[in-house]
Amino acid sequence: MQNTTSKQRFGSLKKIASNNSIVLVVLAMIFVATLAEGSQFLSLQNFMNILRNHAVIGIIALGMSFVIISGNIDLSVGAQMVAVAAITVSFVNSTGNVVLGLIIAVIAGCAMSTITGIIVTKGRVPSFIVTLGMMYIYRSLCMFFMQGGGFYLDKTKAPFYTQISNYMLFGKIPMPVIYYAIMFVLFWFISRYTKLGRHIYAAGSNEKATRLSGINTDKIKILAFTLLGLAISVAAIVESSRMGSINSTSSGNAYELNAIAMTVIGGISMEGGKGRMSGALFGMLILGIINNMITLLGVNVYLINAFKGIIIIAAVLLQRKDREL
Amino acid sequence: MEKCSLQMKDIVKSYSGVTVLKGVSLNVRQGEIHALLGENGAGKTTLMNILGGVVPSDSGVIHLFGKPAKINSPADSQALGIAFIHQELNVVNDLKVYENMFLGRELYKKSGILDAKRMCDETAKVFKKMNVSIDPREVMRDLQTSYKQIVEIAKALLMDAKLIIMDEPTTSLTQKEIDNVFSIIRGLTKDHGVTVIFISHKLGEVVDICDSYTVLRNGENVASGSITQPDGSKIKQDDLARMMVGKDVLNQQVYEDHEIGEVVLEVKDMTVGDRVKGVSFTLREGEILGITGLLGDGKDELVRALFGDLPHTGTIIKNGKPLCVGHPSQAKKCGIGYLPPNRKENAIIKDLSVQDNINITVLEKCRCGIALSRKRERAVAQEYCEKLRIKTSNIMNKITSLSGGNQQKAVLSKWLNAKPDIMIMSNPTQGVDVGAKNEIYAEIMKLARQKIGIIVTSGEAQEIIKLCDRVLVMYHGELRGELRRDQLTEENIMILSTGGSLN
Repeated sequence: MQNTTSKQRFGSLKKIASNNSIVLVVLAMIFVATLAEGSQFLSLQNFMNILRNHAVIGIIALGMSFVIISGNIDLSVGAQMVAVAAITVSFVNSTGNVVLGLIIAVIAGCAMSTITGIIVTKGRVPSFIVTLGMMYIYRSLCMFFMQGGGFYLDKTKAPFYTQISNYMLFGKIPMPVIYYAIMFVLFWFISRYTKLGRHIYAAGSNEKATRLSGINTDKIKILAFTLLGLAISVAAIVESSRMGSINSTSSGNAYELNAIAMTVIGGISMEGGKGRMSGALFGMLILGIINNMITLLGVNVYLINAFKGIIIIAAVLLQRKDREL
Repeated sequence: MEKCSLQMKDIVKSYSGVTVLKGVSLNVRQGEIHALLGENGAGKTTLMNILGGVVPSDSGVIHLFGKPAKINSPADSQALGIAFIHQELNVVNDLKVYENMFLGRELYKKSGILDAKRMCDETAKVFKKMNVSIDPREVMRDLQTSYKQIVEIAKALLMDAKLIIMDEPTTSLTQKEIDNVFSIIRGLTKDHGVTVIFISHKLGEVVDICDSYTVLRNGENVASGSITQPDGSKIKQDDLARMMVGKDVLNQQVYEDHEIGEVVLEVKDMTVGDRVKGVSFTLREGEILGITGLLGDGKDELVRALFGDLPHTGTIIKNGKPLCVGHPSQAKKCGIGYLPPNRKENAIIKDLSVQDNINITVLEKCRCGIALSRKRERAVAQEYCEKLRIKTSNIMNKITSLSGGNQQKAVLSKWLNAKPDIMIMSNPTQGVDVGAKNEIYAEIMKLARQKIGIIVTSGEAQEIIKLCDRVLVMYHGELRGELRRDQLTEENIMILSTGGSLN
């Protein structure tokens, strides 16, 4: 009797482990880092640093997850973030109205992504191509209007704006971490508990069958882009507030690739229809911990991307094995 | 006696315990066009696959051109001079004609460079033999469909094929193109001694072009002979149809009398591209209306347009009010449901659970405030699992874990869940085992008793006969005729769907 129950217990443990191999990876990485670096790695402050440094891309990755689950991809997110931030900063600088600035940021971000979504669905052009084009357009327009340089926040006109990202809650928690948490809960809730979320999964899994279930799949895919636009807007606000500036050439570089890396590491399949929002969270943690470990362990910084590459491929291999089991 | 180019004797083949061919024989004389006839599942394809080396036979002998032949692989079959032209065209549209002809067997110059000139010359030679004028350097995409078909035949000749098997070669062609292909085939057999085995459901064509026929039914020979009768007249299409269908069709009773009410749907002048041409019909409450016809004759396009999945012209009137259905989501709102054919491709959302698949059409029913209530979703899904006896160990498992029959029942549930007044079902029992088939039939009868108007499209005549109150038969995109329940026989359906007319 006892034997069987323990077997069952072992079986369910195994199931949990295989469903969440990504969690095990994070735990293993923390373990290794702790052994190697001990107290410095495990400190609350270090963790807050990791989270703060990756919150912006992490927020974009949340939106990116929706777009990828719906069966598309967006390469323009980095450039679009710079564009949204530039619009916001110049508005705040000229009017000093921070609240209106934030609203404009959200509207601009959502509108840009919605346009992308409309071109992708109504024009029947692969999202890879549309967003590649959008990336060039946004980046080039930013460079044109900013004349290759950046916009700096006028701290005398809007001192509050810099506080958005640089304030520490209870003196310990950086605000970007809070924004990430709020955005995570929002996206997690939509993905799990709303009709739209379910339809995004369905459209990415089998668009034809979803359409033939009487669901407007074009609308669903556009809305997935719109939600990504929301995430980009928040990222743009956090980034520009934290830096106190936004630069047309140096800001937002490779953000799209890092965001895609986070989602892929987190088990969100590029085929669409598969993956959970917790994956995007763990993907961010894994990338964050790698960057952090390399710094703490004093490994040559030029090797960071090699480690990232290994982790991306390893994560996908690991998930492939899970699927076959 | 004339030479036989092919003799197949006592061919037996079974797949996992089910015998598909029970000692079938086929004799084809040299230089003739031989029709191989039979319903879907009669064993034609299996027999030809054995000849083509795609599957091995369990027992039986094959003689080719007087010599015993051993065919173990498609390569063997090709080497013996057999060419197989499939229903769908196997051409690469982006390549030139001669490149298609020599695909995989390209000619090279000594230097290792492709010898385009020689390939073009060879291609031109074959075309000349066939009396067609196609430029070998033309890009395949620019050719008409019939010419693409002709290139396929030319390819067979280029490989020195003496026996060409053509599996429904005309389904994608227009009448003019069909005539074109036929004259080429006739020329080949008369002038070059090539033998053709011709598989087609269009009996009109068969009578027109073929010299002799063999009919298979349920894996057995039923009849064979000459198309031209001893008295000089040609065999009648009806006779062929009767042989194909047989009298001893086992008919399990599923039809039950039910009340038929007012007209609920009226379709006027529905036109969908060139696939459906001005079709009008009505549907009543509680009526099961069958729409049948051969593959490619427009029945699926007609119902897809009705569900808003294809752009169309014409009027759709439901309960006296004209509807605008430009998208499936509008059709759903208007109370129309659609169970599509090809479940895997069109109906199953493979990454979602059984529960999520059942709820996908009307998720708003499970809403509690702004959030979905998992509890309510579960209750709804469980209700349908019990009602339709969907066997699953856990409804949170992925839908792909279910058997075909249970998957189909889950797909049907998702539409029952949406409570439509009109339910369209295309091949409702496709890929479903016999037990589940009857359960689905019973469910359809139940829907009819609930006063839901039902449209069933199916290529299976037996299914239509079992279920329907009234049947529309389509031929080349038009309504060829209408059959009342008391006129429903497989013969009548076959006659209408092959372009004939009753009386």
